[in-house]
Amino acid sequence: METIRKQVKGGQGKSINGHLRKVLNEYGLLVVIILFIIPVSIITPVFLTPNNLINVLLQLTVLGALSVGQTFVILSGGGGIDLSVGSVLAFSAVIGAGLIMYQGLPVAVGVIVTLAIGLGIGLINGLIVTRIRISPLICTLAIMTAVRGGVMIYTGGADIIGLPRSYTALVTGGVGPISYAIILVILMFVVADIVLKKTKYGRQLYAVGGNEHAALVSGINVKRIRMIAYAISGFCSAIAGLILTARLYTAGPRAGVGMELSVVSAVVIGGTSLSGGIGKIFGTVLGVIILSIIDNVTNLLAVPPAYVQTFKGIIILLAAIIDRFRTADK
Amino acid sequence: MKQQIILEVKGVNKSFPGVKALDNVSMEVRRGEVHALLGENGAGKSTLMKILAGVYQPDSGEIFIRGRKVVLDNPKTSRDMGIGMVHQELHLNPHQTVMENIFMGREPSGKLGFINGKYLYKQTEDILNKLEMKMKPNQKVGELSIAEQQMVEIAKAISLDADLIIMDEPTSSVTEEEREVLFSTINRLRKQGVAIIYISHRMEEIFEIADRATIMRDGQTIETRDLDENVTIDEIISSMVGRKISYVSHQRKNPSDDVVLSVKNLTREGVCYDINFDLKYGEILGIAGLVGAGRTEIMRCIFGLDKKDTGTIMIEGKECNIKSPKDAIDLGIGFVTEDRKMEGLVLSLSVGKNITMSILERLSKFNFINDKKAVDLAKEYIERLSIRTPSHKQIVENLSGGNQQKVVIAKWLLTQPKVLILDEPTRGIDVGAKNEIYRLMNQLSERGIGIIMISSELPEILRMSDRILVIKEGRITASFDSSECSQERIMKHAL
Repeated sequence: METIRKQVKGGQGKSINGHLRKVLNEYGLLVVIILFIIPVSIITPVFLTPNNLINVLLQLTVLGALSVGQTFVILSGGGGIDLSVGSVLAFSAVIGAGLIMYQGLPVAVGVIVTLAIGLGIGLINGLIVTRIRISPLICTLAIMTAVRGGVMIYTGGADIIGLPRSYTALVTGGVGPISYAIILVILMFVVADIVLKKTKYGRQLYAVGGNEHAALVSGINVKRIRMIAYAISGFCSAIAGLILTARLYTAGPRAGVGMELSVVSAVVIGGTSLSGGIGKIFGTVLGVIILSIIDNVTNLLAVPPAYVQTFKGIIILLAAIIDRFRTADK
Repeated sequence: MKQQIILEVKGVNKSFPGVKALDNVSMEVRRGEVHALLGENGAGKSTLMKILAGVYQPDSGEIFIRGRKVVLDNPKTSRDMGIGMVHQELHLNPHQTVMENIFMGREPSGKLGFINGKYLYKQTEDILNKLEMKMKPNQKVGELSIAEQQMVEIAKAISLDADLIIMDEPTSSVTEEEREVLFSTINRLRKQGVAIIYISHRMEEIFEIADRATIMRDGQTIETRDLDENVTIDEIISSMVGRKISYVSHQRKNPSDDVVLSVKNLTREGVCYDINFDLKYGEILGIAGLVGAGRTEIMRCIFGLDKKDTGTIMIEGKECNIKSPKDAIDLGIGFVTEDRKMEGLVLSLSVGKNITMSILERLSKFNFINDKKAVDLAKEYIERLSIRTPSHKQIVENLSGGNQQKVVIAKWLLTQPKVLILDEPTRGIDVGAKNEIYRLMNQLSERGIGIIMISSELPEILRMSDRILVIKEGRITASFDSSECSQERIMKHAL
């Protein structure tokens, strides 16, 4: 009896402290966002105007698309991380754009090739990590470097400009004031959430990330589950590449440089544990929103970039510290 | 002349939730003796040693060192009192040298923090010479053999002025010659007046090296004996196994004669050799042997977790090619692994999600999990196995050990196994929960499931098995019908 009581208590949070922790766990980021928005909207009334908010949404599409894939990879555990996202974004985009602009192929072909390249490089990452068992950090760092080199070789360092309207409509077109790109990214979040919560793959991903030995013994194909996570990340990078290219009307060789750090930050701020198996898409959404709002607001306030960097660094550290406390009491 | 007593333990008690680990334990160790500490797994040896090392605090009782009462409240106090530990797993840094390892954390250095290399070398050399060890102070530890690495641990203890050294299974992973070297070092230490508490399962070895032995059973110290020519191995073993509290036992219901699982000539180089056995429907086959004898490894090969070199596995008379756990599960084999937390459960997930983890295939259509069905099944099994949890949503980490074990078993029952392998199914859980697991095993065997149970608890093996295989160094050394078997007979073939 005693043990039952203890378990019940443990499960429901034993004190105000426990409740507070639970609320912080579930909604902490939301609270942070609101606390941040209030003073900001007083200082810069521009912030809350519909125009600016739509601008924020548009700005976050690239980061958002990348963060979906990154969440899968980090959830898969085993030190899972994908640093190659920025390079894959650029590579898949320039090849696709090149086919359209230089080879004169239809836009649809360019888009499909872009997506296929993203998926392909993601698969290569997954294969190297799971079959040759190179640490994800090293593998994706190497792929990031090599693929960026590939971008430079292909473009010769020059932008590919003047993409046709049917391509850029992804961003310029939309439903009312909401761009297709925004709808696409929201759709990606929704699909990812359903996959993680409702599908066999999602359940197995949590199992593999939480305890790969137990997953293996339970008959789960650990390598396959992980490999798919990297493939998803590659595919998401390609989507991000399409969006960025459409937004800038240009596929540039330096597109997405340094993006991997923002993406990992967004996912970790969103509460996904770097050791895998714990995390939610909703958290990632909030992480993306926080980083995007910081960018937007500091831009509105004309804060020098150096300060923005410092501020972001502090936010990431804080998120990591919160994560540490959350896992420490287990 | 009565030898000086260096350590005296008096009436020490220690409880963990649900288990009384030490019950009025007393022993004394004299200067310059090798004192063996004997007992089955779970008898309380390691708890007692952890108390001496300052890792655990006793609930009550007294400890005297050189006649002075002491409180060993942390490992440093214990070390300062002159107690040194040589662990089964070595705590050395293989990338550093012998001298760096011996003086780790207390490197001789000057005011600016520079290490005095010459002094370090000299100090280490002195200790090594005193112990007549042949290695060089600046040799990398990783280049030494396991036995030599143990010597480094011993040298480290000596450098800390330890006059009581605890050795936990020091010969478990060394060769014959290395063992000789270790023993001559022990003899030298003994001559220098150092006392040694020596834990080992190898009886012959105990008789060779130890002067006296204290025997533990069920958390109690049974007796301390002089190991002279009047004592036999059999006497010591029967003192170790003794009698136990009453547990559920397996009622034999005449298992069918049909074989469900048949293993032939299974070999994995360096792990197990030429394993042959049959398992019948409804039979409980006990697998006995020492920890590390290869019992788990054999099962891992059968289950597809490790590759086998040769051999065939037949299920219901058909030869099968098991390449992964998934193949094994599809063929009707379940494996409740030894370590619940490492291999059995995903601690961060709920009870329900853990229970349904290995049947997601069956629960999903077009990749979507039928949530209602999953929850219903989880609830059904929580009830059937009386798993005590507030709900199926409870995170499994918050359950007690016995209930966690039942979650693992539930997971496997859902796969509808024909063969269920249980590896140390009752380790670390209390008496009540143990009996529940035993009852469950009886039910399963009545339903015709063939059960293989690996256990280091001999009484458990004897009570629950229809037949018993004894494994030693990766080979089957004996096979008994449990009615004609005894703990002594098993031990003889296991040692």
